[in-house]
Order: sequence, then C-alpha cells, then structure tokens
Amino acid sequence: MLSKPFGKFASVALVTMMSSAVVLSACSSDNNGAAGSSASPGASASAAPKKEKVDGGEITTAYLGDPQGFIRFWATTTTSTEVIDLVFSTLYKFNEKQEIVPDLAVDQPTFSEDKKTMTIKLRTDAKWSDGQPVTADDVVFTYSIPINNDYTGPRKSTFSRMEKIEKVDASTVKITFKEPHAGYIDMMIYNILPQHILKDVAIKDMDKSEFFKKPIGSGPYKLTEWKASQYLTFTRNDNYYGGKPAIEKVTAKIVPDANAMMAQLQTGEINVVSVPADNLAAIEQFAKTSGKIKLQKDIPSTSYSFVGWNLTNPLFQDKKVRQALTTAIDRKGLVDGVAEGMGKVVNSQTAPSYWTFTDNVPKFDYNEAKAKQMLAEAGWKDTDGDGVLDKDGKKFEFEMQVNQGNKVREKAVTVIQQQLKKVGINVIPRVVESSAFTKNFQKKDFVSIYYAWSISGDPNPHGIWHSSEIESGLNTVSYKNPEVDKLIDEDLSTFDKAKRKEILNKVDALIAEDQPYTFLYSPTVVMAYPSNLEGFNPQRDSLKEVQKWYFTK
Amino acid sequence: MALYTLRRLLNAIPILIGITIISFAIIHMAPGSPLSQFTEDPTIKQVDKDNMIKAYGLDKPLYVQYWDWVSGLVRGDLGVSLLKNQPVADLILERLPNTLLLTVTSFLLSLLIAIPLGILCAVRAHSRLDQIVSGFTFVGISIPGFWLGLMLIILFAVKLGWLPSGGLQTVNADFSLIDRIKHLTLPVLTMAAGEVAIWIRYVRSSMLEVINQDYMRTAKAKGLPGNSILFRHGFRNALIPLATLFGLALPGFFAGAAILEQVYSIPGMGRLFIEGAFQRDYPVLFAIVTVGAFLTVLGSILADVAYAALDPRVNLSKQEVRG
Repeated sequence: MLSKPFGKFASVALVTMMSSAVVLSACSSDNNGAAGSSASPGASASAAPKKEKVDGGEITTAYLGDPQGFIRFWATTTTSTEVIDLVFSTLYKFNEKQEIVPDLAVDQPTFSEDKKTMTIKLRTDAKWSDGQPVTADDVVFTYSIPINNDYTGPRKSTFSRMEKIEKVDASTVKITFKEPHAGYIDMMIYNILPQHILKDVAIKDMDKSEFFKKPIGSGPYKLTEWKASQYLTFTRNDNYYGGKPAIEKVTAKIVPDANAMMAQLQTGEINVVSVPADNLAAIEQFAKTSGKIKLQKDIPSTSYSFVGWNLTNPLFQDKKVRQALTTAIDRKGLVDGVAEGMGKVVNSQTAPSYWTFTDNVPKFDYNEAKAKQMLAEAGWKDTDGDGVLDKDGKKFEFEMQVNQGNKVREKAVTVIQQQLKKVGINVIPRVVESSAFTKNFQKKDFVSIYYAWSISGDPNPHGIWHSSEIESGLNTVSYKNPEVDKLIDEDLSTFDKAKRKEILNKVDALIAEDQPYTFLYSPTVVMAYPSNLEGFNPQRDSLKEVQKWYFTK
Repeated sequence: MALYTLRRLLNAIPILIGITIISFAIIHMAPGSPLSQFTEDPTIKQVDKDNMIKAYGLDKPLYVQYWDWVSGLVRGDLGVSLLKNQPVADLILERLPNTLLLTVTSFLLSLLIAIPLGILCAVRAHSRLDQIVSGFTFVGISIPGFWLGLMLIILFAVKLGWLPSGGLQTVNADFSLIDRIKHLTLPVLTMAAGEVAIWIRYVRSSMLEVINQDYMRTAKAKGLPGNSILFRHGFRNALIPLATLFGLALPGFFAGAAILEQVYSIPGMGRLFIEGAFQRDYPVLFAIVTVGAFLTVLGSILADVAYAALDPRVNLSKQEVRG
C-alpha cells in the first residue's frame, strides 16, 4: 500500500541500497569512530598560523540523519555525540588517543588508597548559557541519573560499577565505586546537565522532555534552531569559559543521501564534511579546480573492520587454518583497491590511534604460496582435483555474510572471495539486510562475517574478547583463551597507565597469534574544509575541537 | 447509491482490521529490532538492551502488544516513536505537508501535461507525433527517479548553479515563496517526469478506445463541431477508467516519494517510513502502514463511487435491490 501506483518499481531495490546509509550512519559508516570530542590543550597542530585570523564566519556541515537528542545517557549515535559536544561541557573529553583531558574538571581525578573513591575538582568559571554558574550540584544531579533505578536507557551497564556521587564543596565532587574500576574514564564523557532547569523532570521522562530537543548547555555553542530532518543551527557562546570561539555560526544540514551531500559540497551549500571513498576522486578534482575547499587526508579513526570466523565451526577450529586464511588475503590491496587507500591495515584488536596501540604483534602478511603451504600442513589438500581443498571428504567451502548498503564492504567481500579462491577455498558471499545482519551476528548465526567495531574510550576489551562474554556478550565468534581472560581481568583493576599498556599489548599479541578474526583495516577519514579555514586538528574528523577553528584573510 | 457507499464503508472495517493484524505480524516477524542500531558500539551491553526492550514494552507477548496498540489507535493515539522520542502523530503532521506539496504539485503538473498530450496522441494515433511522444514516455517510465534526480542536481545545481540541490528552504532565511518554488522545482520535475509518462499512456489508451465507439461516429455524422465531440463525448467517457486510477493514487500522495525525498533531502513521509523501516521503529511503521491502508481502501471506494457518478450505465441502486 505504500508503493506509489505510478510505477517506478524498478527502483525499489535501489531505495534499499541508498537509504540504508541513513540508518547506518551511526553504526557502520566506516568513516566514523564513535569517539567523543576533545579539547586537548596543546594537541592542536594547526597549519600555517601566520595568516591573519578572522573573528566570525560560518561553517555548514551535513549529517545523513537527525541527532536523537541532547542527553548522552539516551542519545547514542555519532551525530548526537557531535552536536552534544557543541552545546555541552563534560567533566573530561577524549583526545585523539582516547585519553581523557579535563574540560569542566581541573586536572586528572585523584583516587583514594583503596581506589574506591575518586575526587574531581571543577572549574569555577563555567556558566550555563542562561547565565547561571555550573556547580558541583549540577554534576551530582547529572551523575545521579544513570545510577537511578528509574533510568532505563542504553548506558546502565556503563555505570553499573558506580555506587554514588556526592558533593564535597561547591567545586568538588566525590564518586564512590562498588569496586576499583580502571575503566572509569568511560563515565567521564557525559554531558553535564543544568539542575536548575531539569530538577522537576522525572528521570523516565527526560528523553521525552522539551530539554532533550531544546537544550541549555555550557559548551562553546548554543543551539538556535532545530528543524527536524532539515537542519540545526548553532551560534557561538560568547561567555564560553574556554574563550569565545572564532567561528560565529555552525549549521548542520540533514542530507540523507551521500551523493547529494557531495553535490552540495560542490555548490557550496555545505563546506565542512567527510568525503566517502567512492566520491574521493571527484571531490579531489573539484578541490583542485575550484580552490574553494581543501582536503585533509589520513585522519585516523578508532574503528576497524574484520572477518570474524565462527570458532564453533569445525572449519575454523585450527589456529593454523585461521592464520592461513589471513595470509591468503591481501589486506593492503583491499585498502587500496576497495577503500581508495582510505585505511590502515591492522593486525590486532587495538586501533592504531589508541594510546595502548602496539605494532609488536605476530603478523600474517599476504603471501599466497605460504598460505597454500600452511593449509596443506593443516591437512587441507585438493584430492579430487576440482580446485577446492578438501579434508576427510569435506570441502573447504563456507558462507560469508556482509551487511547490505555498505558498498565498500560488499566489494571487499567479493575481493576476499577471489583471493581465497586462489588458494583453493570457496567463499559464498551473502548480502544481508542490516537489521537481520546484526541479529545474525549477535545470535552467532554465521559461519564467517564481515563486520566492524567502532571502539572508543577505555581500551579494556572485556566486552569483545573475554570468554565470559560468549554467552550473551559480543564475543560472538566464541573466542576462549584463558591467558587472555586473565590479562583482561588484571587490566580492569590496574590504574597505572604504563602497566596497563604493557598488559594490553600482551593481549593484542595473543589475539593476533590466535586470529579469531582476520583483522583487515582501520578506515581513515578524509575531511573537506573551506580553503581559508585553519585551526582544525589534522588528527580528528567532523566538528571536533570546532571552538579552535578560525577563518583567515 | 448512498446505500452502496455505506455498504462499502462497512465492508471496509473487517478489511482494515485484517490489515492491521497482518502488518503487525509481518513487521514483528522481520528480523532485527529497534535495538539493532546499537551494533558496532561494544560499550552497550546485553543488559542495557534487555533493559530497553522492557522499557519499550517489547518483552510483552505479541497479542498484548497488538491489543495495546489497537486500543491506542481507537483512542486516536498512534504511540511514541521509539527512536525519535516524539509522538508519531506529531511526526506525521510535521512531514505530511511537505510530502503533499511534492506529490500533489507533481501530480497536477503531470496531468496538466499528460491529458492534452494523451488526447492528441490518441487523435493522431500512430502519427510521427505519437511515436515521438511514445518514445519519450518509455524513457520517462524506465529512468529511475534517483538517477534522474542526481543528474538534474549535477546539471542545475552543481554545473549551472541555477537552483539549490536539496532541502525545502534556504537555511537561516525567512520563508519566501520564490525560495520555496526554487527548492521544489527539481524534485517536482523529477517526480513529474515519471508520472507524465505513465499518465500519457493511460489517457492515450483510454481515449483511443472511446474514439472508435459508435456514438462518436454518430456525433460526427450529426455534424457536431470536432472539439465538442472530443471533449463532451470523447474525453468524458475516457475519464471513467481514469477515475479508478485517480482513486488509487490517493495513498501515494500520503506515502510520498521515498527515493526522491532521499535524494533531495525533503523531510517527508517517504523518508519517515524508510527511516522507520530500517531502524525498526515499530510505532512509526504501524502508523504509516495503517494510514496508508486506510487511504487505499478509501481511494478504491471513492474510485467506485466516482465511476458510478461518471458513467450513467452503472446503476448501483439496482444492484442493491438484486443483492
């Protein structure tokens, strides 16, 4: 009943392809790490600071879909996080290495001897955009929400180890944990809410309140208008404690079609946006000929894509076989051929920009001959001469699922299919509609699957790799290594960063050796900026640190 | 006729109830759930998802969920969008005017072009003109809307810079009619291109059938002026089958043009539905499907009634007696 009676049925299939991009903006765009924004002092490496700085100016960016709203306890998409960071302050923010840097807080938190209580000092010069000061009461009010029984949002488990929060004085708060928790930094990036405005709103009604869509914050910008599905406009907050931002206005248009978005970049209707791989060549050409925009390439993200091998399947139970599979796949070629060079090959589970990253892990670089040899050593031989390996009368043949609507991934699976064919393995690609795809992943209903993680915040990988997460967590390939379990548990209660890095590097090495996934690559982002814009951090994408941007004359 | 209309309306009730049950079941049977969006973020755990399922009421048995929804519907409550945290009725009221602006404008525009051209092609069937127009209609029918849309954007917005490439208004500007017309030009043209083509085919074939009827020849023999024959005798009769098609176009006005709304960033019903479908936003889906079903049924009743009004040969009251 929803098809138009005028025909055009031929394009129905295409709607599916084109529009899934909207929905996936949050979860599977290969270009976005779901990291928080950052105001890391001294981390900004702005280029060409000689030109004269202009006070004012306007930037227009675009998102594929609307943000959900302005409270992070309920709003989970990348788009939401970005607009929340324009309007609000947080205790700390993540920098590009996913370390916390103070925002409303002063210095790093201090811990008690037993690591169970944490004290945070607050700045005293922050004000809400209605003029009221931001105080410890606001912080206590905010953090009381996710630990309240009435809260049923998606962040309950993030705060499950927090027992209570108390005000010590007007500019100090104390948080008590149920047990020492090194991953506390994940709790520090939630936007602080104004108690004087929200105190009479019941917690269960907050995500339906007027405030959720018309927020008052203490961040660098104020929301001036939100026309649902059309645009959001922001004006700078002249009283921002971090200094008045140079860019006066920020507009975020909602453009649900990525091709249309690139057309708007060329017409000048938008001027700050990340450029997807399939449009890169055209936009590069446009930047060169028009001189209106410039491109910033190789911006790291904190996500990575991989092929997950279901370890309960007899095909993948031998470590040697998994290593051979990785050796048979030309991952660098995949980045260059499919992702237009926008990515960096990864060998284990930590994204390259992370502070815990190490390159010192076992690697299985592309080598077709070696892959064949490894498979032969594992007992896989082509005995019947049909070009497909077999063992005990069973052919090396399996299905690989990939989600529909992500062209880069669909292509990548085809390339992997061809490469594995060369070593005698038959892959049957299966493109699955996104929601069904997700369900298959979570229910472990796959043999092999092309997937991606967007990691942010604390580097402890319990949720994905600990064997206790096989049952109902995200360890859906059923990976179990007692040594990894032990190290992950140890890291959870280690507060010394150097020590943590050491532990987590060991985890990375063990997982790289076991190859429960074939780790493919971490996408990099290309941003388009107006050619006279400066002050942006070349290590960060989207609107991060926009308060430091400025135009030059 | 009043009786007939009434009977049709009463007949529609079980149909609508059936539709709500079937669509409710199908939508729930589709794999995935509103929580599928939390996929690649490992910080959201199963516990959180279980919590939210409970908060959304999705843990209740299906018949309870259906009953809750239907009883809400009867009270005029379409529910609250799970992902936009906004009453569905508000969402629809917000989007519907935009969609109507697009669908009705392009419908009227396409009729304005299709009716004279269709008649002309019928009158001069198989002439050079007819062949050329036929050629264009086939092109019009086969070109996918999104492709034509993108091409028009590239030509008129990117290369020539005459028209904006999307949206409904210039950001930060006050409403102005000129601005709105500029923004609507490309989407309406794109949408009308396909519709014109189809309506020309309909008008032409409908007209062609009438033109060779005996009464047309009689009228001509009587010496009536050509135009009068064509419009009073010819077109009026040709309208009868078209009336049915108009009736069936009604739900299309409401449902919008998903692809074009996507390409041209128009916040309309088509986009709302697509977003709802991909995010499994059940209340939004149910509401649109139900209203769509309602309009489809209403459209077909209207078509039948119009049929009777236009065609004196159809006498409904007699059937009433017989039935």
